[in-house]
Amino acid sequence: MPLNRKIAIIDLTTGDIDVKPIPLAVRKQYLGGRGLDAYLLYNHTEKGCDPLGPDNALIISGGLLTATCASATARTHIMAKSPLTGLLGSANMGGFFAPEMAWAGFHHLVIKGKADKPVYLFIHNGSIEIRDAAHLWGKTTTDTQWAIRAELGDEEIKSCVIGPAGENLVRYANVMTGIKNSAGRTGMGCVMGSKNLKAVAVRGTMDINIARPAEALEYNKQFIDQITSAKVNQTQGTLGTPFIWGATNSWGGLRTRNFQYNQCEYADDIEPERLDDIATETIGPHHMTGCFGCQVHCRAQYKIPSGQYAGKYDEGPEYTSQGAFGAMPDCRSAVTVLTGNHLVDQYGVDNLEIGSIIAWAMELFELGILTTEQTDGLELRFGNDEALLEMVHRICTRKGWLGDTLADGGIPAAEKIGNNAFDYLIQVKGMNNLHSDERATPALALNVATASRGSDHLRSRPAIDLYHLPEPVLRKIYSSPIPYEGPLSSEHTDYEGKPWQVFWQENCYMAVDCLGICKYHTVFLGATLPNFEDWPKVIYYNTGLELTPEQIWEIAERSNMVERLFNLREGLSRDDLKKGDMLNHRYFDEPCLRGAPGVVGRTIDREKFSKMIDEFYAHKGLDKNGVPKPATLKRLGLKNEPSHLL
Amino acid sequence: MASANKVLMIDYEKCTGCRLCELVCAVKHDGISNPVRSRIRVIKWEAEGVYVPMSCQQCQDAPCMTGCPAGAISRNESMERVEVDYDLCIGCRTCVSVCPFGAMNFNPIDRKVIKCDLCDGDPQCVRFCDVKAVDFVDADRVGQIKSRSAARRVRTADTRATAIHSDS
Amino acid sequence: MTEETNLQSTAESLRSTRTYGKFRCHNPSCMGRLQPQAGDKQVKCPECGMEFRVHWIRPDFPRIRGPVWDVNRKLAEEALAKKGGA
Repeated sequence: MPLNRKIAIIDLTTGDIDVKPIPLAVRKQYLGGRGLDAYLLYNHTEKGCDPLGPDNALIISGGLLTATCASATARTHIMAKSPLTGLLGSANMGGFFAPEMAWAGFHHLVIKGKADKPVYLFIHNGSIEIRDAAHLWGKTTTDTQWAIRAELGDEEIKSCVIGPAGENLVRYANVMTGIKNSAGRTGMGCVMGSKNLKAVAVRGTMDINIARPAEALEYNKQFIDQITSAKVNQTQGTLGTPFIWGATNSWGGLRTRNFQYNQCEYADDIEPERLDDIATETIGPHHMTGCFGCQVHCRAQYKIPSGQYAGKYDEGPEYTSQGAFGAMPDCRSAVTVLTGNHLVDQYGVDNLEIGSIIAWAMELFELGILTTEQTDGLELRFGNDEALLEMVHRICTRKGWLGDTLADGGIPAAEKIGNNAFDYLIQVKGMNNLHSDERATPALALNVATASRGSDHLRSRPAIDLYHLPEPVLRKIYSSPIPYEGPLSSEHTDYEGKPWQVFWQENCYMAVDCLGICKYHTVFLGATLPNFEDWPKVIYYNTGLELTPEQIWEIAERSNMVERLFNLREGLSRDDLKKGDMLNHRYFDEPCLRGAPGVVGRTIDREKFSKMIDEFYAHKGLDKNGVPKPATLKRLGLKNEPSHLL
Repeated sequence: MASANKVLMIDYEKCTGCRLCELVCAVKHDGISNPVRSRIRVIKWEAEGVYVPMSCQQCQDAPCMTGCPAGAISRNESMERVEVDYDLCIGCRTCVSVCPFGAMNFNPIDRKVIKCDLCDGDPQCVRFCDVKAVDFVDADRVGQIKSRSAARRVRTADTRATAIHSDS
Repeated sequence: MTEETNLQSTAESLRSTRTYGKFRCHNPSCMGRLQPQAGDKQVKCPECGMEFRVHWIRPDFPRIRGPVWDVNRKLAEEALAKKGGA
């Protein structure tokens, strides 16, 4: 049974390992994955703990449905207090790690303490071993994985690892598995590095009994048909996430040159179709790959066609690499994008954060806020492809004054650079924004401002707000499972009704993250994809747990509230530009210069934005300061903060 | 029977490596999610991005069948498959060691050999594979499909060569 | 649980609204339905005037590759001038 997968609490300082079952009562409150991780993080860390100290807890998990006969249960979730933001750290990746960990007997690992020398964990069919990693230290993400397989003599071992960036404590180093699957955001690789933990390797051959196998199998087929018949997933399965980049650029929603433009014009060489041609030329017609059990197969394979790294194999690039090494630094070359993507994969660093931070530095350099002395002679201008890639090396190895400064993250770097560098940093809660521009889309602006892990699109973005869906369709989606009779608008520039959409999406994405499935399998990019009403069946057939759509909604609400409680405990405050639900002034002050006629000239209206925050807080049951009302905590069973069952 | 004369056709170039075939195979046969229970296995070279699903070829002159000391393996002509009679099987795993494809597997939990039975004519790996890296086709069509695909490659190369020629 | 299996969920019921062979204008305030003819390389939205390059994922499956940049720039500059911007 998926429900009998265990939790292991591992102390790297003492070597103690405590394995426990997960009580059904906790499952019914948080399901698994991100929700249960939030509960564990709250309980296993003290207020104000040092994110890079032994008291931080690194939590690695699969979801409730991981490795069951449900579709695309590939996601691994990683949580800790973030060394980038000082608030909630949380990152999610695809691949094959979490299912293997479930077959090895575990759903959640809580890793505390700090090893006195580099180690890695090997988890095999219920046993956990702390092993020496001296020989792995310094290796790239892929070399580390292959070396572990060779050492243990099993090609089926799956590992999540850090690369040199994590070892060097780059504050936005990520955790990776496979060639490019990355738990990218909030510096979870930096936390691993701080614990001297190079990798977690898993191998499992333990049964997961399916509660109702025949029904689970049939329903899985039906579920997959619903997903693969969506045009958005057929496009995704051909062009990968670059197609979203292309579409976003089409209308003017793409962050370009840090935040100077909202469209990257004449960028034909980095358009999805061009990248697809390169994949076809270097790999062949069948160059799409995917994560465990998923029929969307949204990840391209490619070889770098020319340049210093010509012939290197990698996967992707995704939207964020087109942003990081394309639109943001205004380098419109496919080879640069593919090379940048390869470098971040090898170093193990968040492509989104590093791309944002380099583009920010480029703007500062052009404004004269950064000098050639500080860049060690590097002409860090927009459009300088070589300088861009050089900065990736410098940051990941902390080379030079600027490399070392930028490796500490945006806010500390802004303080060190001084002048008004901070004004140009497009961040929320200390984390940079996705390479999208939300000035013409109040709903999306509200989403990035309030996302629990800092500026982020995967926490509550109502992406379908851009589809101009008829109001009855919007109402059908957004008034289930909880009735909603307030306003809803098909127009993306409106403010009315958007807080509800963001609230609904926040619960939808939390549920998905608790179940351990992919967001391309729910209402993210496609309006006709499964959500609350579809999940009870898949949960019941696979686990035997009987839950209604309303109960799943409540679990998601509760889990989101625990994340909120964690952030409040660590200093979240509504209007704080560095630790709050607030946007950079440029959203309000600088109009969009490009894009569709209705987008040009747009800014976010401060007053209406503040009213959206009020409404969003009201939906969540928070007061005007963003603090949960006592009645809300009582309703969600959190009156005494999360209980300590685990 | 619908399966008569049909065989599994694997085109590894199409495989995305997702391993859904392994999952549904195990669930279909044992009601359990566990790849070691799967009759089909995706072998991967992840560093190069190459994935090859491996399954029983249902050989005419099957080495597992000729090698079985207990006479437990036989060919079922109506189903076009090679079968294990578990009442006769002694669990010696000779079949595992002689299979040239590694398609005879040993399930370490139930301690018995397992192999593809084509799901009695409706192979679930085929049903679930969106890209049809695993397909179920008439035996005589396999060669035809392969040669058509090879011919297309030759033709594309030729067209390209002609284009280059006329460019210069 | 079993009684409900034949009822359609919201997602399932919306499946019939999908339209293959067409796409929608990328201007998010317009989203007019556009249906290019087989093989068309460019399409102009009759509703808002934006022009797009077309890519064919399959012979029956077109998508917008991106704007026709010169037209896009001209429309943006006109709109900006009208709004009294730079």
